[in-house]
Amino acid sequence: MPANSMLLSSSPHVFANVDVRKIMLAVILALAPATAYGVLLYGIPAVVVIVSSIAAAVLGEFLFDLAIGKKPRIGDLSAVLTGLLLALILPVSTSWWMAALGGIFATVFAKEFFGGIGANPFNPALVGRAILLMSFPAAITTWHKPFGPIVDATTTATPLNVLKLGGTLQDVAASVGATDIGSLYLKLFIGARSGCIGESSIMLILLGGALLLALGVIQWITPVAMMASAVLVSWLLGTDPVFAFLSGGLAFGAIFMATDYSTSPITPAGKALFGAGAGVITALIRKFGGFPEGVTYGILIMNSVAPYMDKLRVPRYGKVRPPEPAAAKEAVK
Amino acid sequence: MKKKTFRGGAHPPERKERTEGLPLEYVRSVKQVVIPVNQHFGAPIHPLVKVGDVVKRGQKIADAEAKMTVPVHASIAGVVKKIEPRMQPNNIDGMCIVIESDGSDATDFLPPLDGFACTKEEALARIHEAGIVGMGGAGFPAHVKFSPPPGKTIDVVIANAAECEPYLTIDERTLAENGGDVVEGLAIVMKALGVKKGVVGLEDNKAQLVAGIGDAIAKRGHGLDISIQVLTTKYPQGGEKMLITAITGKEVPSGGLPMDVGCVVSNVGTLKAIADAFTKGIPLIERAFTITGGACETPKNLVAPIGTLVADLVPAIVKVNDASLRCIVAGGPMMGVSVPNYAFPIQKNTSGVLLMDRAEAEASEEGTCIRCGRCMRTCSCRLSPALINESLLANDLEDAEAIGLLDCIECGTCSFVCPSRVRLVQRFRVGKQLLRGKKQKEAQSARK
Repeated sequence: MPANSMLLSSSPHVFANVDVRKIMLAVILALAPATAYGVLLYGIPAVVVIVSSIAAAVLGEFLFDLAIGKKPRIGDLSAVLTGLLLALILPVSTSWWMAALGGIFATVFAKEFFGGIGANPFNPALVGRAILLMSFPAAITTWHKPFGPIVDATTTATPLNVLKLGGTLQDVAASVGATDIGSLYLKLFIGARSGCIGESSIMLILLGGALLLALGVIQWITPVAMMASAVLVSWLLGTDPVFAFLSGGLAFGAIFMATDYSTSPITPAGKALFGAGAGVITALIRKFGGFPEGVTYGILIMNSVAPYMDKLRVPRYGKVRPPEPAAAKEAVK
Repeated sequence: MKKKTFRGGAHPPERKERTEGLPLEYVRSVKQVVIPVNQHFGAPIHPLVKVGDVVKRGQKIADAEAKMTVPVHASIAGVVKKIEPRMQPNNIDGMCIVIESDGSDATDFLPPLDGFACTKEEALARIHEAGIVGMGGAGFPAHVKFSPPPGKTIDVVIANAAECEPYLTIDERTLAENGGDVVEGLAIVMKALGVKKGVVGLEDNKAQLVAGIGDAIAKRGHGLDISIQVLTTKYPQGGEKMLITAITGKEVPSGGLPMDVGCVVSNVGTLKAIADAFTKGIPLIERAFTITGGACETPKNLVAPIGTLVADLVPAIVKVNDASLRCIVAGGPMMGVSVPNYAFPIQKNTSGVLLMDRAEAEASEEGTCIRCGRCMRTCSCRLSPALINESLLANDLEDAEAIGLLDCIECGTCSFVCPSRVRLVQRFRVGKQLLRGKKQKEAQSARK
């Protein structure tokens, strides 16, 4: 007879080889190319922003959980991911303490206040960025030239800034050192332009997205819906559609932010509507808003309505009218 | 031949390699059997014998009048020693008849019956008298399944050999060694129901059996239209609804039965038992099952009398590594029931016994839902497990029902794929009970 230590649990008794930590690790891995490229563009100051954001996000969550008597869950790497995501959507001109403050806002205020992973209504990294943008508007909208020292003399305008200030596509091309529109597209795709630390290289962001799709971590619906609608509406509003796709944080936001599990709908139709809505708002803010870029608010605004979109469910198995029994058909005749 | 399958589902590790192809081993002499009185889904039945009675193998020892009942027969010849509650494989104590072998092999079988010369009523009566229930797991009375109400016509009888549960290889062995009996049973059911078409459905991890089944159909198919359908291996394909959808493309309506889409599905073990009940007159008194798992040193495909205690098989027939044993499961790992010890009998619907070791049996802590949607993408009923879970956590039974709680087939795929190990199907089982209880109360108060 076996010893009295048998495991008694309700079925199933086997589980898939997946856990939250592995999922978060996959996203961090997918962000690695864009992160490395950001460091290549801006050097040590970018590392400082990334490290302080991650450290503060993790430490903030840990200490907050200890303070309220909750078992800290930083081992699931969710806070690390949040800190990294926040750093990648900040300009390199952000000082280390601002990045740290943003990290704390992201995990403590935007996530743990609402109950922690899975329960937060708004994307933590985007909340962190939105708060920093409101608190330190000058620092968060100061951009530096890639491959240069991070000093006042090297500040520049992002391609979207140029457009917002009334510039034409030719002006944008000139600002990144491209001779014609074709080479502008190429430079934007590769990422030879100023911007937030991780948002520049569309190529590397798409690479990360492809990895997440291949691993089944994200679904294609949300990013495709968001990018397509943003590009379409921008085009209708008179912006070059290819430029709309390649500039700003659209690709980064659509792939890494709009797909956040907790803050986006869970059903396929909900995901499509959510992505499309975020894309439309992004394009509208870019065209008519006070800021040159609208991805942050586009996604945050859709976050607030995401729970309602879960009502858009797929028809379930067998939810068809049962075939009429032959006898009943006969009776009708 | 084109492989078919259904939408959704998952791929749990198969772990069938240790017993795949191992010939059936017959356990002929057991010193005692503990036969549960109620082994079927339906109304309760009662013992017909008392302590001290001498019974023959095949003698009816429990029965009742109600329609949703199935009699139970003595599986060995001997003396009734006790009639008392004992642990059943569902981990609940139920009334059991304990018979001690007297060493004789006195038998009391039914006379053989020609399934092709008798009426439908005679055939159904024989299936009932032989104590046959669905042996795939549910234990649903077979004669009830084969009795469509007036107005419903059956077009196809499906022999279920999907065997989508990991570890289990007993349908495979039954088809490989008793394929002729399975086909005979299928033909008998088709004849009784007046159905023209029969299909044997099996997953492609058993594709090597196709030629053998083809021979069996040629020899014992009585010239009926019986075909073989290979399916892409995926869990829960052996679920009745999923198998029907995979093979016919039709969906069983919500709240309906397979007969609503003209189908009857029967496990291959059940069909073999039906063949025995007609050709040899032997009631359902033994069954084949797989005993395996990481802590099982001698994994086997066994055939034993109904009521054989697993405790009596260890260590004479099955060797177990007690040090590594962590979890005992009656059935498969996806839907089976874990039990505290070996002291439970093999009953009519026990398809396997798993002796899992520490590496296999994960003791997990329930995390919170991170809304990744894996459960929704794999749910074969296209439900939204994450959302039903939210409703149940909020004690909102109405909302859970609106999202489709009652359509859940409890296959456990959602819990299997959940990265946070949220107790989804476990909570749904409780939720379904609560919801049914609530509906019953409402119906009662409405009557008053």
